Amino acid sequence: MKTKLLTVLVAAFIAWGLKRHYSDARADDLRWILTPTAHLVGVVTGATFTLLPGEGYFSREQLFLIEKSCAGVNFMIAAFGMLVFALFHRVHSAGAALKVLGVSLAAGYSGALIVNTVRIAAAIWLAAHPAALPAFSAEDVHRVEGILVYFGGLVLLYELTQRLDRRLVPTSPAS
Amino acid sequence: MIGALGSTIAHAFRRTALPLGAYYGITLIVPLANGAPQSGSIFLEHALVVLIVPPVAIGCACIVHTIARAALERS
Repeated sequence: MKTKLLTVLVAAFIAWGLKRHYSDARADDLRWILTPTAHLVGVVTGATFTLLPGEGYFSREQLFLIEKSCAGVNFMIAAFGMLVFALFHRVHSAGAALKVLGVSLAAGYSGALIVNTVRIAAAIWLAAHPAALPAFSAEDVHRVEGILVYFGGLVLLYELTQRLDRRLVPTSPAS
Repeated sequence: MIGALGSTIAHAFRRTALPLGAYYGITLIVPLANGAPQSGSIFLEHALVVLIVPPVAIGCACIVHTIARAALERS
């Protein structure tokens, strides 16, 4: 019980710390997530992103800036919290708690990179093809696309974790 | 078919409850706690879209799934 309570507190502290860091950070402070995201978006779209100090990563040919608001830290926090909750039944010892927190953090970060890459690549495509959805404004399309990709990403990450959780690892050391 | 659709939708909402909760938590509850409603109608409009789009997407996915399954069973 004490381990479970401590796990909840540590998870809440990590989520709060990430949110706090994101709120106070400038684009340069978020290179730990913006740099791999810009590289992945470059691989997917073929665009070249160059670092603009204080701004983020800019593609001249696409006229697209990957800035602070595109970092995907909010997705990472949501994914981290969701995965800790989903894997919470595995917290039986301090070691297991550390594993759950570590796996959730790593999966949240990796998931954020992949989902954010999809979101930005889709945004670039939609910006280049405004006639695809002529009934909606570009702002509305961008907003709905962001919601669908982020929510869909959380659902996929949850499903993947549930499947791996059931198939790969026993629930407790005794079982 | 309507009964099958209702059952599929109920199952889908149960299955996506945690991702939906996590998504609403980071997009609605955290900004609400940070005083976002003070920014006025911009947040309310955004919140309304954030609130509506995921359940609509789940519903659409269920309709497509039910129709596809019915078509497969017939063929």
